[in-house]
Amino acid sequence: MIHSGKEKNYFMAAGLIVLTAFLVFAGHEHTHASDGKAITSKEQLNHENIRIGVGQGGYAEQVVGKELPKARRVFLVHTDGYQAVAEGKVDAFIFERYALELAIKSGLEGVRLLDENMDETIPVAVGISPVSHIDDLKGKIDSFIDEMKENGTLDDMYDRWVIKNEDEMPEIKPADDPKIHLKIGTTGIVPPFSYYKDQDLCGYDIELAYRFASWLGADLEFRTYDFNGLITAAATGDADLLMSELNVTPEREAALPFSEPLFEIPIGIMVHDSSGTASGSGASFLWKVKTSFEKNFIREGRWKLFLKGVLVTFLITALSMIFGTILGFVLFLWCRNGNRTANAVTGVFGRLIQGMPMVVLLMILYYIVFKEIDIGGVMVSVIAFSMTFGLSVYGLLKVGVGAVDRGQYEAAYALGYSVNRTFFRIILPQALPHVMDSYRSETVTLIKATAIVGYIAVQDLTKVGDIVRARTYEAFFPLIAIAVIYFGLEALFGFAVSRICILFDRKKKMRTGILKGVKLK
Amino acid sequence: MIKIEHLKKSYPDVTPLKDVSITINDGDVISVIGPSGAGKSTFLRCINLLEKPDSGDIWIGDERITDPKCSIEKIRRRVGMVFQSFNLFPHLNVIENIMLAPADLLHTDRQEAYDKGMELLQLVGLSQKALSFPEELSGGQKQRVAIARTLAMDPDMILLDEPTSALDPAMVGEVQSVIRDLTKTGRTMMIVTHEMNFARAISNRVFFMDQGGICEDGPPSQIFDNPQNEMTRRFVRRLKVLEIFIDNSELDLAASDMLITRYCFQNGLPAVLKYRIRAVFEELVGQILMPVLEDPKIQFTAEYSGEDNKVELSVRYNGPVFDPKDSENDLSAAMLKSMLYDAHHFAVSEDGYTNNFKCFIRRE
Repeated sequence: MIHSGKEKNYFMAAGLIVLTAFLVFAGHEHTHASDGKAITSKEQLNHENIRIGVGQGGYAEQVVGKELPKARRVFLVHTDGYQAVAEGKVDAFIFERYALELAIKSGLEGVRLLDENMDETIPVAVGISPVSHIDDLKGKIDSFIDEMKENGTLDDMYDRWVIKNEDEMPEIKPADDPKIHLKIGTTGIVPPFSYYKDQDLCGYDIELAYRFASWLGADLEFRTYDFNGLITAAATGDADLLMSELNVTPEREAALPFSEPLFEIPIGIMVHDSSGTASGSGASFLWKVKTSFEKNFIREGRWKLFLKGVLVTFLITALSMIFGTILGFVLFLWCRNGNRTANAVTGVFGRLIQGMPMVVLLMILYYIVFKEIDIGGVMVSVIAFSMTFGLSVYGLLKVGVGAVDRGQYEAAYALGYSVNRTFFRIILPQALPHVMDSYRSETVTLIKATAIVGYIAVQDLTKVGDIVRARTYEAFFPLIAIAVIYFGLEALFGFAVSRICILFDRKKKMRTGILKGVKLK
Repeated sequence: MIKIEHLKKSYPDVTPLKDVSITINDGDVISVIGPSGAGKSTFLRCINLLEKPDSGDIWIGDERITDPKCSIEKIRRRVGMVFQSFNLFPHLNVIENIMLAPADLLHTDRQEAYDKGMELLQLVGLSQKALSFPEELSGGQKQRVAIARTLAMDPDMILLDEPTSALDPAMVGEVQSVIRDLTKTGRTMMIVTHEMNFARAISNRVFFMDQGGICEDGPPSQIFDNPQNEMTRRFVRRLKVLEIFIDNSELDLAASDMLITRYCFQNGLPAVLKYRIRAVFEELVGQILMPVLEDPKIQFTAEYSGEDNKVELSVRYNGPVFDPKDSENDLSAAMLKSMLYDAHHFAVSEDGYTNNFKCFIRRE
């Protein structure tokens, strides 16, 4: 039945301690694939025992394959790549040199850059949606880029953002009377190209987007996706252009057209560095926590990003709970009397929805079903999670109602209750207490499941964590913070559901409070 | 008045009601008795349509409730039902169990429903338990609450489906006395029961049901003391019957022996009776009748009464009129005489038999 709140808090506290301990120990146990030998040259990396982190599907992956064929490749999103090198999980991480430099400048510890670069350079361009509503988008962006190259704007932007790491967005006049709506897909997690500063997107690609919108006479909308969702977004027309320091690779060119290259960027090599103050052993733990907290929450007002993320997660969860519960009830009532069509439809619907991974369902709804009607990622998420939650509620109701003895129906019928009234007055009040505990755990599952909405351009709590991690180059603090916030949300929802449980379980109420509107004699 | 015409109910593998027609008068207190599987409960449950009859009509007053247009909910409010398994609502306390239906369905004011509920609880002797939950009550108390709940709707008729069968023997009395009080209120009542003395005491009519029909309908004095129907007689006297037919000239003694042994074992007959039934069968059928009958056709019937532990034999056979006591087989005749008493021979003419020999088996 219902655990006391205290008991639950102990559980949560214990869980947190275990988790923290695990992360701390994991952090200190460096597993060096290179047998402790410091890596000083690129040639050393061409060895079977070497593990090299590369961005999935990016250009670096192919370059490593060509130039360091013997090394094993490990596919990592770059934010994770930095941490992987710093913790020695991989021997090297290969990425755009200037992004690597910026990471070290920003305080990433336990790593250093080799002086050597990879031989090849990466062509970076703008991805173009083949199904965009804007005519001849490729022609337009190409002539825009040509113009910008000729008047030196691109070089200037490259110098400011990429070389000097200035992070001031210049004033760019927005288009007067815009006639076109331009949707830019970006990630917001690759400084210095696309990242968040003071809760706003900035960077080379962002400036480019503003300039292009102004040039085109369009109003501008940014949509932030996970790296894995970018190409899909453009392929389905959810974004018109992709601007997020996009490498041009043959595979990607096969999937969608690219503009002519903006620039070629050298590929740097980041390796693990165990020497010196890398692990910051001099500083006390508390001091480290304090600076981490300052960096991840206070600086640039990042707590506001977290707050927004929490609100999005809360909103999606709460709405999905409400609509899902309603849906579950409707399905159950529809199927209850053995209506064949109803049961067949619900059966197929259930298999279909529950049979596919949540991410896939989310993407199908966002990119295919609601492609024409642009209702936004949050609404799509609510719809997707309402469906899965509704099916869970349907299942719970089936179990709960099935657990009520047949004699209860007969007793009610014999007193003169109709079928429907019997269900609502007699059966349901007995069925609900059976399943409220499961219902509560379903809501907790729901909260956790919402962490994937970043795939469809929703900035929920998890996504905000990624954005902040991309700027602070820290894993420990943002991840723990997110875990704690999720715990908090779960406790909140759990508490709310427990309150509802008590409403339904009349035995838990005070005995004298049971008889409403009656004077005892 | 309730009129039932050609009621039939069947399931894929059994037919609990074959063809039942009966009229129940207002104020009748009817006990329905009969062996298990006779269709008693099905019959009762058809009257408030908890079971839907396959065919036939039921009239309650002027309303034909088997009419699909009839509002069965309204009818059920006038026909209360008490179940073997009580079926109290476990999520409500005792008084709410009683108040719920009047407040919900008759729109009785809650205070009024409460007052009436307390009165009913007093009637069944449970006013102290008003705020208890069903799980805190004994079986007998639960059934009394269930009766009060039924009465709260003030029904014209009450159906009780084996109201004491699920109770400890110690609690049967308290429920029975509540039911006995109920019979004095003039309500039409119908009780399915296995308690013969109780049925005799409270009812003015008894239905004996067997094999999907009402075999006998009469006042308790007739049903229990002077049953007109053979099945009724066997049932009320708790007779266990063994029948062995022989209709060819070869007698399979071993097979008959097995039938007798099994019958005695199943019904818990003392060893001496078992031995004597076998001995009588062998002497009477094997030694006396078989040798003298040209084309033997014999029906050997043993009836063991659970009431007085007596075994009555009835042996019918064809051929010329012949009393086995006069058999030329002196030894067998002597043995029979030593094992039997009250032995009489009748010349009959029924079902192809011409003789009937009746007797009891000595126990000592």
